[in-house]
Amino acid sequence: MITSPNDLLKGYVEVSSLPAVFARINEAVNNPRSSMNDIEKIISEDAGLTARLLMVVNSAFFNFPQRVESIPKAISIVGTQQLRDLALAISVIRLFKGIPPDLVNIEQFWKHSIGVGIAARTLAAFRRETNVERFFVAGILHDTGRLVMYMKIPDLSREALLRSRKNNELLYVAEAEQLGFDHASVGRVLMQAWKLPFYQEEIVAFHHKPNLATRFPVEAAIVHLADILAHSMGLGSSGERYVPPLNQEAWERLALPVSVLVPTFEQIDRQFEDAVKTIL
Amino acid sequence: MGKLNLDEIQPGMVLAADVLDRNGRVLLKNGLEISATYLMILKQWGITDADIQGLSREEVNAKAVESLDKELLAKTEAEFQEVFLHADRQHSFDQELFRLSVIRAVHKKMGVSARDN
Repeated sequence: MITSPNDLLKGYVEVSSLPAVFARINEAVNNPRSSMNDIEKIISEDAGLTARLLMVVNSAFFNFPQRVESIPKAISIVGTQQLRDLALAISVIRLFKGIPPDLVNIEQFWKHSIGVGIAARTLAAFRRETNVERFFVAGILHDTGRLVMYMKIPDLSREALLRSRKNNELLYVAEAEQLGFDHASVGRVLMQAWKLPFYQEEIVAFHHKPNLATRFPVEAAIVHLADILAHSMGLGSSGERYVPPLNQEAWERLALPVSVLVPTFEQIDRQFEDAVKTIL
Repeated sequence: MGKLNLDEIQPGMVLAADVLDRNGRVLLKNGLEISATYLMILKQWGITDADIQGLSREEVNAKAVESLDKELLAKTEAEFQEVFLHADRQHSFDQELFRLSVIRAVHKKMGVSARDN
């Protein structure tokens, strides 16, 4: 009997911790005594990750005038923190395997997540937020609770899906009614298990209710808005068929003009296809 | 006067209000005629809209869909009404999001069908 989001992670060893390579990168980035050389060495040991990272850095995502051919070059141009965040996004996508295809098309799921990530990164840049790459990662992470549900409780998840279809309900509302919790609270537990920074935990936990975030309501509001944009633009699909309702408090907190939508749409359309090609 | 998105503003249009940066400092003065250079400066400053004389938001919105296939537009609007079931259509954000999403979707459909033919 599943009674809490915590139960879902018990015994789910495949995703209950992040790949060792990411933990090592993270440790090196956070350690003031480690050098760029150390970080480069750790990344280079994972050939797949190295190749993906270079593809992303050379995509429309960054639009650098010159090709970035090596990890040391990427570190010096993008920065260690930002490269760490991109490595996290790539590692997370590779982690989930064997999701029942009748519950979600995994490619569409990641497309939605990438769309949210690009939208969040763009909105964050308009607000002059620091290290915008963490918002891209937040987009990748925001719905991962749903993947855990599809793996661990496929039947209950299917019932929630059917319930939302039948009653024209938002999926996260149907989940809460069916299970007593929704994918956002499952995602929160996952972020804790992965020992990710508290702002990622709050973003994931509150992306539908950003006004309830205790320490990072702005970050949560940005991803909340980005999720609405990705749905409205029809980028991929997380299983939710409706554009989620806007949280009024979050909108006011961001203090963005409505006119930010046009350049944000343009930026997303410019980057989305390329990001999907390089990251998926 | 109407608040226009930056991409709708053209050289020769006249400001109906001061353009302020995010700290409330005046960048361009009310009554100024917009030039291509000013447009570029506004973009670089991250300004996304401005009040323009003699144009209403309604006129500009109507113009944006002028060239679109009317039948396709109506059909797409109906599809988006469904997807926006839980949105607050009274809110200015949702209204603009709806408008832009519909136009974008129609452009995509027209682009695809043109290529198919």
